[in-house]
Amino acid sequence: MEERLKLASRAMQAGMLGIAVAGLLTANFTWMPAAVLSLFVSIVPSILRRDLGLVLPIELNFWIVLALFLHVIGGFSGFYDNVPGWDHLTHAMSASLVAALGFVVVVSVDKYVESISLPRPFLAFFIIMFTMAFGVIWELMEFSNDQLTGSRLQSNLNDTMFDMMFDAFGGFIVGIAGAHYLIHTTPEHFVESLKVEKTKEKISGLLEKRARSKGGK
Amino acid sequence: MGEKERVRAGLFSGRRPDQMLEAELSWIASLVLFFSTVYVVLKVDVLWVVFGIAAICLYVLPIVTMRNLFRALPWEMTVLLAAPLLLHISAGARSMNDRFAWWDDLTSLAFALSLATIGFLLTVELEMYTSVRMNRPFAVLFVIMFTLGASGFWEVGEYIDDEVFGSSYLRSNCDAMTTLLWTSIGGILMGLFYAVYLRVMPKKRLSTFGFMHLYEVPKWKRG
Repeated sequence: MEERLKLASRAMQAGMLGIAVAGLLTANFTWMPAAVLSLFVSIVPSILRRDLGLVLPIELNFWIVLALFLHVIGGFSGFYDNVPGWDHLTHAMSASLVAALGFVVVVSVDKYVESISLPRPFLAFFIIMFTMAFGVIWELMEFSNDQLTGSRLQSNLNDTMFDMMFDAFGGFIVGIAGAHYLIHTTPEHFVESLKVEKTKEKISGLLEKRARSKGGK
Repeated sequence: MGEKERVRAGLFSGRRPDQMLEAELSWIASLVLFFSTVYVVLKVDVLWVVFGIAAICLYVLPIVTMRNLFRALPWEMTVLLAAPLLLHISAGARSMNDRFAWWDDLTSLAFALSLATIGFLLTVELEMYTSVRMNRPFAVLFVIMFTLGASGFWEVGEYIDDEVFGSSYLRSNCDAMTTLLWTSIGGILMGLFYAVYLRVMPKKRLSTFGFMHLYEVPKWKRG
């Protein structure tokens, strides 16, 4: 299963690379940069793993690549305009992605910052509100982009509101699933599987090195 | 005077005049909040009913659990809580809305301030009654995020209300986005404001409220 997910991720990254090249050839300068940027973002987890030793769950990694891939291919092939509900699909995907990353961060904070303690129900509530807040920021970005550059990212009220409903939907799913997941594994176990401890050591090592080199000057 | 006699002497004895004034202001504001909520309940204005009941619960909870009428929220917070409800139901506000373009923005801002206040009270009362603990940076983040998220859910709620029950909250996409823009600005400002609010509040005043300091874990900088 893990191998298959990895393979699928690689295939989608290759697809994004292909879209970037195709975008360059067909002079599609709205989606070529988007493809390059998405490709880069999809590589970030691997960079984190190599340089900091932070291991994201393989499913989460797959989800990140899938959301980016759907966004890029939808934009390049015009699915956003032609396929009904494509926009909502990618919204629900990216919202659940944001929620999942928020979950990882908040659980780590809960474990490593002593003055912070977040019981499970509150964690679920936090994730839901966090995802919705992110959705609001996203819509505001689209809105200001439309106002400033005259683009048409938001078509009408119905569309915006459905986007936000799908954001909320993604947040609810991940918030509740995350809280449920922590019943079976303790936060400690979950954080350990991320190898955050090692990352922390590496970061503090880097900071020390930097401080020493500064002190030497 | 012995301890028992002081209790018998009545609820209001032994309070300084300024304490009395503050408590009275808070009670009056809470009554405004209460009756506005009753009004929206009678009107079956579902969203505002939810808002009003949430605000009233946060107001009443410390008073009831500590059985002390003076454990009321600071009056300025109560005013902030009641303001958007009052603006919503008053006919005067509606005519202002027709006359001035900026009135709608002001209402949105007032709404943001009260949402942020609810977020702040949530941090305080969650620490009072549950095992949730936050430090200051996290609490500020929570207040801002809560305001943004709640206003998002609010807009969606208004939209559903429009579609299902035929109300007319949202006129256009631009309308909804302007509201969200104002609530975000208000939320961010209030989040930062509450970070310094308790530090600049005089110690004497803080101690009369008795629980507001629970906003953050004491000495969080050490851990």
